[in-house]
Amino acid sequence: MNDLSPPVAQPESQSDDQPSSRPKSPLGFEFRGDGMEYFKIWIVNILLTILTLGIYSAWATVRNNRYFYSNLYLDDNNFRYLAEPIQILKGRLIAIAALVLFTITSQMAPVIGLGLMLLLLVAIPYFVNQSLAFTNRMSAYKNLQFRFKGSYGEAFMVLYVWPFVGILTLGILYPLALLRLNQYMVRNSSYGTTPFTFDATFGDYGKIFLTMIGAGIVLAIPTWGLVAFVPSLALIAPVMAAAVYFGLIVFFMVKTTNLFYGSLALADHGFDADLQMGGLAKVILINTFLTIITLGLYLPAAKVRMAKYVCSCMVMHANGPLDNFVAAEKENVSALGDEFGQAFDFAV
Amino acid sequence: MYIEGDYLDGVTSRRTPVRLEVVYHGECAVRIHVGQYPDEGHHKIELKYNELKIESRIGNTPREIAFGDGQLFVTEDNASVDELVRLHGSSKSPSFIHKLESNLPLIFVAVIASGLMVWATIFYGIPRSAEYIAYQLPSFATEELGGSLAVLDETLFEPSELDETRQAEVRALFAPYLAAHENLKPKLEFRSGMKANAFALPGGEIVFTDDFVRLAQDDKELLAVLFHELGHLKYRHITRRALQDSMVTIMVIFITGDIDTVDFLTGIPTLILDLSYSREFEKEADDFALEQLHHFDIPVDYFATIMQRLENYYVDLESGAVAQKTTVVLDGEITTEEAPADESKSIGDFLTTHPSTDERVKLVEEFKRARGIE
Repeated sequence: MNDLSPPVAQPESQSDDQPSSRPKSPLGFEFRGDGMEYFKIWIVNILLTILTLGIYSAWATVRNNRYFYSNLYLDDNNFRYLAEPIQILKGRLIAIAALVLFTITSQMAPVIGLGLMLLLLVAIPYFVNQSLAFTNRMSAYKNLQFRFKGSYGEAFMVLYVWPFVGILTLGILYPLALLRLNQYMVRNSSYGTTPFTFDATFGDYGKIFLTMIGAGIVLAIPTWGLVAFVPSLALIAPVMAAAVYFGLIVFFMVKTTNLFYGSLALADHGFDADLQMGGLAKVILINTFLTIITLGLYLPAAKVRMAKYVCSCMVMHANGPLDNFVAAEKENVSALGDEFGQAFDFAV
Repeated sequence: MYIEGDYLDGVTSRRTPVRLEVVYHGECAVRIHVGQYPDEGHHKIELKYNELKIESRIGNTPREIAFGDGQLFVTEDNASVDELVRLHGSSKSPSFIHKLESNLPLIFVAVIASGLMVWATIFYGIPRSAEYIAYQLPSFATEELGGSLAVLDETLFEPSELDETRQAEVRALFAPYLAAHENLKPKLEFRSGMKANAFALPGGEIVFTDDFVRLAQDDKELLAVLFHELGHLKYRHITRRALQDSMVTIMVIFITGDIDTVDFLTGIPTLILDLSYSREFEKEADDFALEQLHHFDIPVDYFATIMQRLENYYVDLESGAVAQKTTVVLDGEITTEEAPADESKSIGDFLTTHPSTDERVKLVEEFKRARGIE
C-alpha cells in the first residue's frame, strides 16, 4: 500500500452533487510534522538499528509510523498507530526464518523449493488479507480502530485473476483490475463498525488510461519527428523522453489519487482530494534534488514534505458531527502477514 | 498538578475535554475529572499507576494514556506527562529514546557514526561476510546461485560453429592448465550466438564464444583470458556478487524501509555498489591471470594484447563511435562511455562493471615492474 495515504482510513467522497438536508462542511486534513524533528527520529533509528544488528528495526518502524500517524490531523484530531514493536519483531523474525529456510531449500532441493514456491503463491492472498487487517487494526482515529475483513477468494481474484485478464486483453481490461483492487481494499475496510464505500467505475479508470495513451502518442510523435529531421537534436531526445515519462507518471499519480479519494465515502461523509500535477511534480523534483545532493540525509524531510503536500490537498465533507461512530468488537491480528509481505516482497 | 486533555471512552468516537489530576499521596495515581461538578453526568475516574499505559513520547505529537477497556486520555502537554512518569513510575528517565532524539550533539554524532558504520558495512562487512559464506556453501548450492549453462543455452547461446579441429586444438592447448586447477572443476565450452566474449559460470563451465576464439591471433592470448576466468572461479566471484547484492538490498531496506515516497532513489546506490563490487572482482581476476601467466612462463603482455584487441573489435563494431572510449567487458555486454577529458578517474569509472582497457594495460605494466620483467 502507498504510505502516503494512511490506511484506507481516510475516505473521500464524491457524493457532493446530491443535495442533502444538512449542509456538508469540509473538514481539512493536515500534516503537522516537521522535517528536522523527523530527521532526528530517523537518524537515531538508523544508529540504534545498526548497533543492535537489526533488532531495533521493529521499534524504528513503530516510531516512524507513530510519527506519521500522530501528526496527521483531520478536523483537529490526530490519527494513532497502535502496533507494539514486539508484535512486529515476532512477525519479522518468523518471516525472515521462512525466507532463509525457503532460500536454502530451493538451493539444496530445487523440486521441494518449487513446491514451496507454489505453496507461497497459494498463501499470498491469505497473507495480504492478514496484512491489511493488521494495518487497519493498528490505525485509530478518535480512539476507534479501523478494520479490514477480506475473503480469500476476493483477494485471489484481485491479486491474480483480474491482472491476468488485463494482460490477456492487452491492457484493455487493466483499468478494471485496478478498480477491483481498490474496491477490495476500500469496501472491506471499516471505521469502527461503519464500512467504507467506493463508487468509482470502470469508465473512470479507463478515462485515465486512455488520456495517458493519447498524451503519450501526442508528445512522442513530434519528439520522434524532430529527431528524425534534425539529427543534431538526437542528444536531447533522451531528455525529452524522460520528461514525457515523468509527466505521465505524475499525471497517473494525481488522477488515480484524486479519483480514489473522490470515490470514497464513510456512511454519508464524503472525501475529496485535489492534487495538482504542478504541485506534485514540484514536490517530487525538490525532494529528489535535495536527497541526491545530501547523499540521502534529506530523505526524512522529503517524506514530511510529501505528506504535508498530499494532506493539504485533501478534505472530508462531513455530514454532521463525527462523534457517533461505534467501535468494532475486539479481535487479534498478528503482524505475521505484514512481515511476510515485506520479506517476500508482495506488499499490495 | 492538573493536565488538560480529552477523554475518549473506547466505544464511540466522541471526544470530551477533561482534566487529569496527578495525585501525590493516596490510593490512586491519577484522577480524571469528566464534566463539571454541577453538570449531569460528571464523574471521576480513579486509576492506579499500573493501570495506565503511557505511550512513549514522539516529537511533539499528542501523548496518549490508555486505560481500562480501550479508554483513552489524550493531551498536548508532554512535559506534564513526563512529570507524572517521573513521580510514579519506576523509570527515573521517562522518554529515554525521545531524549536521544532531541539531543543535538548526539544527533550530530549519530550522523557521523551512522555514515561511518554504513561505509564500513559496504566496504568491509558485506564483502567479508559474502566471501566467508561463499566458501562455506557446498558446491551444488553455488551452482544454483548463478545462471546455469542450460538456461543460457535455452535463451542466449547457439551451438558452436567452430570446426572440430580448431576446438580440439584449443582443448589440447588448455588441458594442462585446466588440469593444474582441477580443484575448481573447470569445464571448457564453446558457443556462438554472441559477439566476442568469455564467461565463467559458478558451476565451473568456462564459455568461449566463437568470435572470441577467432579474434585471438595467438593461442597464448586465449590462455590469458582462460586464467582470468579461472580467477573468477577460484574466488567464487559470481556467488559473492549475488550474495553482496542481496545484502546491499537488505541494508538499503533497513535504512529507508519505512520511507517509500522517493523509493526509486534507493535503486541508485544499490546499482552503484553492485558496479563497484563488480570492478573489484574483475581486478582480482586480472591479478590472478597475470600471476598464472607469470607462473607458467608466458609473457604477461599477451593479456594486454588481447584486451586491446577486444577493445578495437568493439570500437569497430560501434561504427561512428570514434569519439567514445569503449570499455571491454569480458563476462558481459559491451558498454560505451564518453571519453573522459583527462586520464584521471572520472565519474564514468564509477558507472561501469569493468576496469577500462587503459587501466588493464597499466596493471600489466605495474605487474612487470614489480616482478622485474623486461
